[in-house]
Amino acid sequence: MKNRLKVLRAERDWSQSDLAERLQVSRQSVNAIETGKYDPSLPLAFRIADVFDLPIEDIFLREG
Amino acid sequence: MSRKDAEIGTGFAGRHPGLWAIAFAAALCAIAYAEHRDFLGGWRSLPFVAAATLFLVPLTKAANNRQAAAGALSPATRRYNRRMLIWSLGYVLCLGTAMTVRNYLDPQGTLLWGIAVLPSVPMIYFVWTLARYVVEEEDEYLRYRQTSAALIGLALVLLVGTLWGFLETFGVAPHVPAWWVVPVWAIGLGLGQMIMASTERRAGHT
Repeated sequence: MKNRLKVLRAERDWSQSDLAERLQVSRQSVNAIETGKYDPSLPLAFRIADVFDLPIEDIFLREG
Repeated sequence: MSRKDAEIGTGFAGRHPGLWAIAFAAALCAIAYAEHRDFLGGWRSLPFVAAATLFLVPLTKAANNRQAAAGALSPATRRYNRRMLIWSLGYVLCLGTAMTVRNYLDPQGTLLWGIAVLPSVPMIYFVWTLARYVVEEEDEYLRYRQTSAALIGLALVLLVGTLWGFLETFGVAPHVPAWWVVPVWAIGLGLGQMIMASTERRAGHT
């Protein structure tokens, strides 16, 4: 699944470590989600949406 | 994660854990070859197996350092690494005790059964450690990563075990004791972690 994590992070001038700390996950997890290697569970997707204060569909995009 | 956690240590613990894993695997292979050629066997192999097991201490430290530097060392991972090291040392201790009793006390009946079962007792702790990691790991990606690597280890055990079993059945390979499943699984786990790390690097990971 594609996502806008990198862009949203850059807009806020957050490093991957900053976002990982806010989400209470490892930096490797942020990296894996950001590069599309791993799709987060629904609870984690909601936490990401809460951190960016955006709806989930503004962060994660349908492919195709 | 603290700055201390994020630094890769120097010295033995600063080396890549893969090097220690290769050293461990190579030592086990050398022992197996020596047993096959009758240079080693029974209690004579024990000091060599114990020495090979010591590779797991720097391997654990190096893995902790590496995982911390990669931003992948959760409290659950740290506990898992520590428990696996305890299990490894306990396994060698129980094995050594059992072989020593067998060779010097000539046990019979119940005692013989007892020492035959003894090396398998730490496996309860091993299985518990695997289960606890899955329960305790709050980072879902790290949990996914570790369980995937464990499944690769399981795949290797199934493939090698089945292949070797049939080679034995058809009389073209020597007998190998079934307890080799654990070292083979551990090698598969290490391979799985390397495969996952390689996939992450290709996807743009650091």
